[in-house]
Amino acid sequence: MTGKPIRFKDIARLSDEPLVSLDADDLMPLPPLTDLPELKAPRARWLENYDLSLDGFSDLDIPMPKTPEEKERLVQGFLTGLEKLLDPEQNWTFAKLFRLSMDYCMRCQTCSEACHVYLGSGRQEIYRPTYRSEILRRIYQRHFTPAGKLLGPLVGADVEVNFKTVWRLLELSYRCNICRRCAQVCPEGIDNALIAREIRKLFSQELGIAPAELLKKGTRQQLTSGSSTGMNPLALKNSVEFLEEIIEEKTGRKITIPVDKKGADILLIHNAGEFLSWPENPAAFAILLDAAGINWTLSSEMVGYDAVNYAVWFDDVELARIALRHIEIARELGVKKIVVGECGHAHKALCVVADRVLPGERTAMEMPRESCLPLMWDIVKSGAIKFDPSRNDFPITMHDSCNVVRLMGIVQPQREIVKAICAQPLREMAPYGVHNYCCGGGSGFAIMDTLNFSEWRNSVSARMKVSQILGAFGDVLDPGIRKYVIAACSNCKGTLRDAINYFELWDKHGIWYGGLADLMVNAMVDLPGPYIEWNEEM
Amino acid sequence: MTLQWFLVALAWASVVIFLVVAIRRVVKINAMPMGLRWEVYPVPHEAPEKRDYGGSYMEDTDWAKKHKARSFKEELVEFLLPEAIEIGTEILTMKKVRANNRYGIWIFSVFLHWGIYLFVGWTLLLIIASLTGSAVLTSISIVVGAIACVLGMIGAVGLIVRRATSPDLGPYTAPVDYFNLIFLGAIFLFGLLSLLIDPALVGHRAYFKGVVLFAPSAVPWAVSLTFLLFWAFVIYMPFSKLLHYVIKYFLYHQGLWDDGFTVKGSAADRRIVEQLGYSVKWQAPHMVSGKTWLEEAQTTATEGDKK
Repeated sequence: MTGKPIRFKDIARLSDEPLVSLDADDLMPLPPLTDLPELKAPRARWLENYDLSLDGFSDLDIPMPKTPEEKERLVQGFLTGLEKLLDPEQNWTFAKLFRLSMDYCMRCQTCSEACHVYLGSGRQEIYRPTYRSEILRRIYQRHFTPAGKLLGPLVGADVEVNFKTVWRLLELSYRCNICRRCAQVCPEGIDNALIAREIRKLFSQELGIAPAELLKKGTRQQLTSGSSTGMNPLALKNSVEFLEEIIEEKTGRKITIPVDKKGADILLIHNAGEFLSWPENPAAFAILLDAAGINWTLSSEMVGYDAVNYAVWFDDVELARIALRHIEIARELGVKKIVVGECGHAHKALCVVADRVLPGERTAMEMPRESCLPLMWDIVKSGAIKFDPSRNDFPITMHDSCNVVRLMGIVQPQREIVKAICAQPLREMAPYGVHNYCCGGGSGFAIMDTLNFSEWRNSVSARMKVSQILGAFGDVLDPGIRKYVIAACSNCKGTLRDAINYFELWDKHGIWYGGLADLMVNAMVDLPGPYIEWNEEM
Repeated sequence: MTLQWFLVALAWASVVIFLVVAIRRVVKINAMPMGLRWEVYPVPHEAPEKRDYGGSYMEDTDWAKKHKARSFKEELVEFLLPEAIEIGTEILTMKKVRANNRYGIWIFSVFLHWGIYLFVGWTLLLIIASLTGSAVLTSISIVVGAIACVLGMIGAVGLIVRRATSPDLGPYTAPVDYFNLIFLGAIFLFGLLSLLIDPALVGHRAYFKGVVLFAPSAVPWAVSLTFLLFWAFVIYMPFSKLLHYVIKYFLYHQGLWDDGFTVKGSAADRRIVEQLGYSVKWQAPHMVSGKTWLEEAQTTATEGDKK
């Protein structure tokens, strides 16, 4: 840590020296873990080609503007984009909440203690939820409000806009998981996470700048190739065959997974990353839906087999495009509703946010979009499948995906399921449910692995979740006792996988992770053996 | 007498200016486009059995099919009342600040805000007491006024000190924030002085009788100064972020608690269709500038779309 207090004006500092240099010793302690990984210095080559002047970390594999003209173009593009964010027509989607959040924050800092990134970092000023908002607010006041133009520093309008300001602000917008815990505790209802999202949107929609994993290899690839994973329709069909093989191998059952079945009741859309990284999860869904006698299908249409909509974190136009494809595919299949698999952001994007980017015939009334969790609880309640809780006789805790709980209010179904299928009572994290902490991978961080960003994610943004997991299993930390963290969300699972590896939680404490559907299948009475594969078996 | 007439005119003018500017601001905000759904749970108007743990209607399957339109009474009792209770509790107790703020401002914030509420109440009591001549109301006014000014002063001074000395609050406090607190503190300070100079409220009542009946009379200097500052503050408020207690409604009701899904053919649907007709002027390579929002959504923004 630099030791010097950070001032708002520092954001415009022309030096390439980072505003803060993180040191592992300054981060939030993680008892009982000792010998925590040190943070590595950025490679010399990165420092030559990229701008790491915020905190020494970056995911932005984008060469820096070199000439004064290029830098000036970036600054002007930023200011033009900010003007559009404030324009009720250009930003009709969020202009009201954005504008009010800019104008009416009382700067009481009540939100700071709600932020896992700020706390995990050992309370580094630049990660405070209000820090980036205050920078943007001061720029906004200076350039776009009469009071700011007239009174300047007297009303706080004192941040200079230069290339460094713009670039550091861009980086800062990717130091917030947009989990919106800060908005939840704000006495005014100010949404600092939304401000972070709007900064990202400005860069994406006006300048075409976003982490490659989100835009170029994310939404662009999904819209043009079918999936953010790069999976095309043919590869999807191969994946489905692979799932059928897994099912037969693990359960002895021969199931034909329905694809493009016209008139099915349910179109199930998974995060396509599941097919590649955790195929046992979509396979578990197939086993459950088949056993429960549900009339369902997958889609092999481009975009229709990938529920992700990364744009929900940074781009309203791309958000609408992907949501529209999902709904059109469901309409063409003639299904009664879409059910989103275990993917948190896809839940929120399709079931909630997309509701108002599409006209009447595509609203939730006309083509319902639902979470898989109530459906899974209905299956358990129906008695169509017999579960034996003793097959899940190990300590269990649950990581709540922010998008599912805090941002959708789906809290109880997953807990009722655990109660019905597990032998031991659920060990709730503190806090849990709508007050949970983000896994640290929210808003795209889980998939952002360029340059040294994953090191920042593991050590800073995932830190609070690791602390919570250790707390939930505090009395059974013996590595001989296998423990399971439920994460009914692909990106959360990805983050937990990496954090478990980074902090060696399996080796040191026997902590593993997985989906909820997997756990359900593991408890099915009429299946021969365990379905879950622990780390050592993989 | 010129000053007395000025104070009478200022009282009326401040109320009119406040109402005109505040209403104009509210109407302008309300007229802004309907944004996307962006709720945060717990949402107070959810079903009572779900409200406490932050659950929503989306915990059930087929929630869209179960939708039924609310009657006016249901809208009022099941929807707006729980929201009003939640916002009201926050305004009166600042429970979120108490639970989450570690910078020692909760008690001072509560004092300052209660000072303001009671000061407004004191003003209303003085008006009624001046017109009715009620001794009981006058006695109550003395107590309310004294409590208002003491609480408000402690609150304002406490917040100034906290903001000036805390490394967490100080950098975020602009000169205008100190100005606001000093402004409020001055009103409470002179309010207290006016009570000391005119403990039976003879001058206070005379002033308000003059305001209401347009018949100004000479009043003690501290009374004049107190209400000169107070009316000036009433004028200043809607131009500043101090109108935040009104804006809270929009941030909560139309933001954090707006969980309504669109019903085909509804007013919301019509509004969204209109908004989808706005022209997009964003300039990134993956935008097709000049199309409407709906047309944008129907493209993939590949080269072919741009021709």
